[in-house]
Amino acid sequence: MDQIISSLVQFWQYTGFANVAWQNIAMIIIGIAFISVAIIKDWEPLLLIPIGFGMIVGNIPMFPGMNIGIYENGSVLNILYQGVRQGWYPPLIFLGIGAMTDFSALISQPRLILIGAAAQMGIFGAYLLALLAGFAPNEAGAIGIIGGADGPTAIFLSSKLAPDLMGAIAVSAYSYMALVPVIQRPIMLLLTSKKERLIRMPAPRQVSQKEKIIFPIVGFLTTAFLVPSGLPLLGMLFFGNLLKESGVTRRLAETARGPLVDVVTILIGLTVGASTQADKFLTGKSILIFGLGLLSFIIATTVGVCFVKFFNLFLKQGRKINPLIGNAGVSAVPDSARVSEVVGREFDRNNHLLMHAMGPNVAGVIGSAVAAGILLSFLS
Amino acid sequence: MKVKSIFLSLAFLLTSSAALHAQNVADLVISEVLAEPDSTCIVDDFGKRTGWIEILNTSQGIVNMGGCYLTDDKNDLKKSLIPKTDNRVQIGPRQVALFFATGNGNQGAFYSSFKIRRGSTIYLVSNDGRTIVDSIVVPENLPVGMSVSKLAEDNKQMEFVTVPEPMTPSPRVLNGNQNVESNAQRMARQDPHGWILSATSVAVVFIALAILWFLFWLLFERVANAKAKKEKAMKEAAQQPVAAATSPADAETAAAIALALDMDQSGDTYAAIALGLHLYFSESAHDLESNVLTLKPMDHHEWSSKSSVLTQSPR
Repeated sequence: MDQIISSLVQFWQYTGFANVAWQNIAMIIIGIAFISVAIIKDWEPLLLIPIGFGMIVGNIPMFPGMNIGIYENGSVLNILYQGVRQGWYPPLIFLGIGAMTDFSALISQPRLILIGAAAQMGIFGAYLLALLAGFAPNEAGAIGIIGGADGPTAIFLSSKLAPDLMGAIAVSAYSYMALVPVIQRPIMLLLTSKKERLIRMPAPRQVSQKEKIIFPIVGFLTTAFLVPSGLPLLGMLFFGNLLKESGVTRRLAETARGPLVDVVTILIGLTVGASTQADKFLTGKSILIFGLGLLSFIIATTVGVCFVKFFNLFLKQGRKINPLIGNAGVSAVPDSARVSEVVGREFDRNNHLLMHAMGPNVAGVIGSAVAAGILLSFLS
Repeated sequence: MKVKSIFLSLAFLLTSSAALHAQNVADLVISEVLAEPDSTCIVDDFGKRTGWIEILNTSQGIVNMGGCYLTDDKNDLKKSLIPKTDNRVQIGPRQVALFFATGNGNQGAFYSSFKIRRGSTIYLVSNDGRTIVDSIVVPENLPVGMSVSKLAEDNKQMEFVTVPEPMTPSPRVLNGNQNVESNAQRMARQDPHGWILSATSVAVVFIALAILWFLFWLLFERVANAKAKKEKAMKEAAQQPVAAATSPADAETAAAIALALDMDQSGDTYAAIALGLHLYFSESAHDLESNVLTLKPMDHHEWSSKSSVLTQSPR
């Protein structure tokens, strides 16, 4: 009988109930909140559901040393986590993004590229603020990249510069990407006059297939020669786009934008979520990171809109840009472009800004990869 | 076929050169040499004190030294072979390997078949047996128990130079101060508030994307704008009333249309005139003949295309 009781006691010690801490419960509740928001509000469900469930997986209390935790060398979760830790997953996601992105809007109006550059100020604004908050330069760089509004880039850079903060940075980046409509709309309305919101832009010209094929090659050579440290992201992005546009690699393009990106999204979401173990995630630093992440989105949107207004000073009537597409410089594709369309149509039902906003939006993807490369070369 | 073979040859050349580069033997450096040991120096696996050669892998990847050679004679570059069969000859990133110069290479992978003499030059030769990867001169006056070393003189620890003064031997240990300041630490010291990095980075992002803008404006938008202007001009010209035509060609066209309308007013005639005018004004395919609008026969079009007419043979 004693043996049975001692076995039961030993079993009890291995259960989650015996090892639970309030932090675990808090993280599990956050995970459930992520899943709920994704299902009920339909906010970034492809990311928030894997991340939310990953949070639950990563915060199941356990007896240490059983080689099952994500931070225990050789465990299954740890092996899957290496794709995040070593930065393999983000370039693969970029391959998929390249294979699904149509750069026509950008090619037809190259001037809109500069809006994508301006919105990257969010990254460097957050970098300055993070330094002020007492973070080391490498940590500040990793936090700043949240302002790029690009989850894979944020994971890639933080895995290189500040692996300990990666969980908080990734969750913050994806959370704010899901909240883009909530964050950007009031800033856009605050910074624009009614007259500016009604600006109609000329329809973009039709882009030939030849231009679409040349774009990834020229784009890659230009950016990679300037910022070689961004090679993994830029190379995969433009390679994926070449697969799409070449017209002769349809199967490869479909795999890249379909099954491959789906598999990697599942793995990256689940493991990033699981990496938010309470003892590593629930810290004062994480709260600061969330605050700085929000500020970086606000700065990026503000600078994007203001840059368009400034740009308009030099443009002739009829060539002016609607400042409501300035927010789309952050690379949350296509959410921020969709915000431009929705806000634009609130004031003029027939003014469709989506195609125009896609220009700075895809430029933002390139811009954030370039910015990540620069930060990597300065701080790694 | 010829083009294909050229492409294949190029691909082969590229891949073979990549394979050569991937080996990274060029990243090896003779980092330290001891000619004559004293009683404080380390012993080899056989308990004897001899001179030694230390080789450093300066790269960030693993380098396989197997197949390379060590020598002290420029006329005999294959004097002492580093065997391929021993896995230990693969040096990790920023790691060193030590070769005892006992004069008997058969003692193991890390033993050379020559002894080190003062005044000689030690060479590390690539696995092709011809290319000298690195060398170091052993000074004539090198004291007993002292070594000649190379140290990195740049921040990235990539460029190595021989230290003029003899040094206390440090076998199997990286030379110099290895507590190199990281980039982040340097930025924290040089740019504590982050303004320099931010300004530089913003400038680089703008430059990168501005170059893209310029290139695409140059390559495509300018051409497209010129084409659009031309098309617009043609469209405007086409919309001018026929009666107002001033050039002889326009007058002839107007006359031809008037004649056709007088003779026959069926829909087919209008369609033919419309097509003729379209081709005429778009300069697509026409020839000029007084009072007559004709269409140039095309060598090939879809109506006569075999690929369009013939059905696929059943499988």
